[in-house]
Amino acid sequence: MASPKHWGEWFLGLRVTPAGVFGVAFLARVALVFYGVFQDRTLLVRYTDVDYQVFTDAARFVTQGRSPYLRATYRYTPLLGWLLTPNVYLCELFGKFLFISCDLLTAFFLYRLLLLKGLGRRRACGYCVFWLLNPLPMAVSSRGNADSLVAALVLATLYLLATRQVACAAVSYGLAVHMKIYPVTYILPVALHLLPERGGGPGPAQPRRSFRASVFEFLKRLCSHAVLVFVAVAGLTFFALSLGFYRIYGWEFLEHTYLYHLTRRDIRHNFSPYFYMLYLTAESAWSFSLGIAAFLPQFLLLSAVSFAYYRDLVFCCFLHTSIFVTFNKVCTSQYFLWYLCLLPLVMPLVRIPWKRGVGLLMLWFIGQALWLAPAYVLEFQGKNTFLFIWLASLFFLLINCSILIQIISYYKQEPLAERIKYD
Amino acid sequence: MTFSGRFLNVKEPTGGPNPQVPVSAGGDRELPGPARKTASRGRGLEAGPGRRSQSNRPGSGHGACAAPCPASDRTARVTESSVSVTNSVAARSRSGVRRAKAPLSASSSVRVSSARALGSAFSSVLAARAVGVRAVAWLLLWEAAGFTSTPATAFSAAPTDTGIRAICSEIILRQEVLKDGFHRDLLIKVKFGESIEDLQTCRLLIKQYIPAGLFVDPYELASLRERNITEAVMVSENFNIEAPNYLSEESEVLIYARQDSQCIDCFQAFLPVHYRYHRPHSKDGETFIVVNNPDLLMYCDQEFPILKCWAQSKVAAPCALKNKDICQWNNMKYKSVYKNVTLQVPVGLTIHTSLVCSVTLLITVLCSTLILVAVFKYGHFSL
Repeated sequence: MASPKHWGEWFLGLRVTPAGVFGVAFLARVALVFYGVFQDRTLLVRYTDVDYQVFTDAARFVTQGRSPYLRATYRYTPLLGWLLTPNVYLCELFGKFLFISCDLLTAFFLYRLLLLKGLGRRRACGYCVFWLLNPLPMAVSSRGNADSLVAALVLATLYLLATRQVACAAVSYGLAVHMKIYPVTYILPVALHLLPERGGGPGPAQPRRSFRASVFEFLKRLCSHAVLVFVAVAGLTFFALSLGFYRIYGWEFLEHTYLYHLTRRDIRHNFSPYFYMLYLTAESAWSFSLGIAAFLPQFLLLSAVSFAYYRDLVFCCFLHTSIFVTFNKVCTSQYFLWYLCLLPLVMPLVRIPWKRGVGLLMLWFIGQALWLAPAYVLEFQGKNTFLFIWLASLFFLLINCSILIQIISYYKQEPLAERIKYD
Repeated sequence: MTFSGRFLNVKEPTGGPNPQVPVSAGGDRELPGPARKTASRGRGLEAGPGRRSQSNRPGSGHGACAAPCPASDRTARVTESSVSVTNSVAARSRSGVRRAKAPLSASSSVRVSSARALGSAFSSVLAARAVGVRAVAWLLLWEAAGFTSTPATAFSAAPTDTGIRAICSEIILRQEVLKDGFHRDLLIKVKFGESIEDLQTCRLLIKQYIPAGLFVDPYELASLRERNITEAVMVSENFNIEAPNYLSEESEVLIYARQDSQCIDCFQAFLPVHYRYHRPHSKDGETFIVVNNPDLLMYCDQEFPILKCWAQSKVAAPCALKNKDICQWNNMKYKSVYKNVTLQVPVGLTIHTSLVCSVTLLITVLCSTLILVAVFKYGHFSL
């Protein structure tokens, strides 16, 4: 059977330069922003997301010297309100252009990381196309969601780690965790990634050690220079930001930025398989234990994946976020962007035959459509379709898991490259 | 039942219905259905609006009305409702009134008897000559047309005749809920029985109490105010848009009603509402939200005597949407078409709880195990 042409090789046939692709992507996003302005003015259904209005209102409060949390449903860092103050002073489209630029910055980091892995310029660009010309991030950024900011920060962290700038990576990481909590799961794979080689290196078989001795040695390695620098600087950044904002805005800041997301029990319908269970047991005595039961699979899987794949940090982070989103108690379509931004980096190493890849993609869309149908009937026609939504969410979980298993099984690790020395 | 038909049946010396009045279909029958009434009336009165000036004599028409006045204004409205006039304005008000017919259905007997009274009054005139029958029939038809198609002008023609205005007409309020699903639109229509000329300078404010099961998004209201679709503002502070029903409270919304362009005496107000999530139920998959009738507040720049009909108390509220001044609004009493509005909300079924919990946990544990197995199989564990 002729080996299917890999996407990268096919792309080489096209005569496009990276700059051209970036230019096209930028123009497409700008066009969407202006289309959004048009649709907002003419049609009843607005193109701009509600969140963008929330950001702008919060920025307005900030310009008046007041707390952005005066705006109901503003559950983000005050930094976002500060960043978007030009929305009020200059033009309301400033925020959207900022998010589009972060989109392109993300793509830039993807490109550089792919180059670092050893791919040629054209091939690297070919993979970046999955982020640059993908309608989902285009639509999300042009509608005014701030997810591209966090994606850019995460990619910056990965890039800086790959170029051995640990301290800068730590600052970027601290900022990313401050903006959205989910990157906190990356701390374990990053720490493992930064571990120095085991003393003695590959050589004759080590004498049998007791378990306690192994653990002790592991902890000693964990206290190596690189790991300590990263953890210390990231922790310092995060706590400095939190303390600073706490001094300015008080308890409200902690409540809305962190606690809300950690303790959030959104019983309204969403993609999560746990939705119906949590809705039915919202007021029962089992609610807390069920919450813990829902958290355990996530925790176990994340730990296992960290220890298995920390050598390839990008793949590890991708798996981390996919598992986190798939098994989370709340899941909306915005969350898919969190791992989508890492997909172009993973693609060169995951050699799925393209037919199977397309099939998996179609299956993913079908799973979403099967959920969206009863959800639409519930929300816009008022019929009781809770059971169908629940079944569709379970089916979507099964689809996501099979995709993850396929990705894991087709992942071909690079020939065990020498560990980059960080000391 | 047709006015002329009845009179023709009783008085007709020539036998058979008047060929000029094509109401033969309905003429023989007592009180045929509304549709038939409408059709026959319509055909017979095609010339009606044109002859209005002739028939609108404050003499006999109103004189005949003077005695059974309260019944006759109902008569006028009811018979008006059975007239299919091409004017959509009248059609709109008629449909509004027809729905309000439930309490007024008892008046149909009143209608019949008053019409009969009128018919017999004219019969004596008719018995005299056969030729005069047609002429008088036409005259009566025109009078009926003028009488029924413009009740408003008929009343305004005698504004100083306080004897006629012995009883106030009612304000009729109707609440409708449009759309389906979790996002509904509340439409409140208010119809005044009186001529609106007096009331042109008045403003109407609707104070709607939103139950805990619903919520109103104040930011959505702000955006609707900007687009000039509706003028509504929330009174209560401290609301949580995302909380479920059992953790929320009732709220109040003030809506500044607007004149309804399609209906002379009507105001309308529009408010988008959304459902909150409710507790799951053990038996049915639905629970109910009850929206009570709002308070109707009116403020006029001058004092009109007509307001005394309805005003029951004074309420302080902002004079206008953008105005911070507080005016003393009159709380008006009104008649509501429906006692209240009931909305159905789908909720989860608690009988599913054990099934849902067990299956969910089973499948999530199964999936995580499968992924763990794959990780152990293909992953490279080393430290």
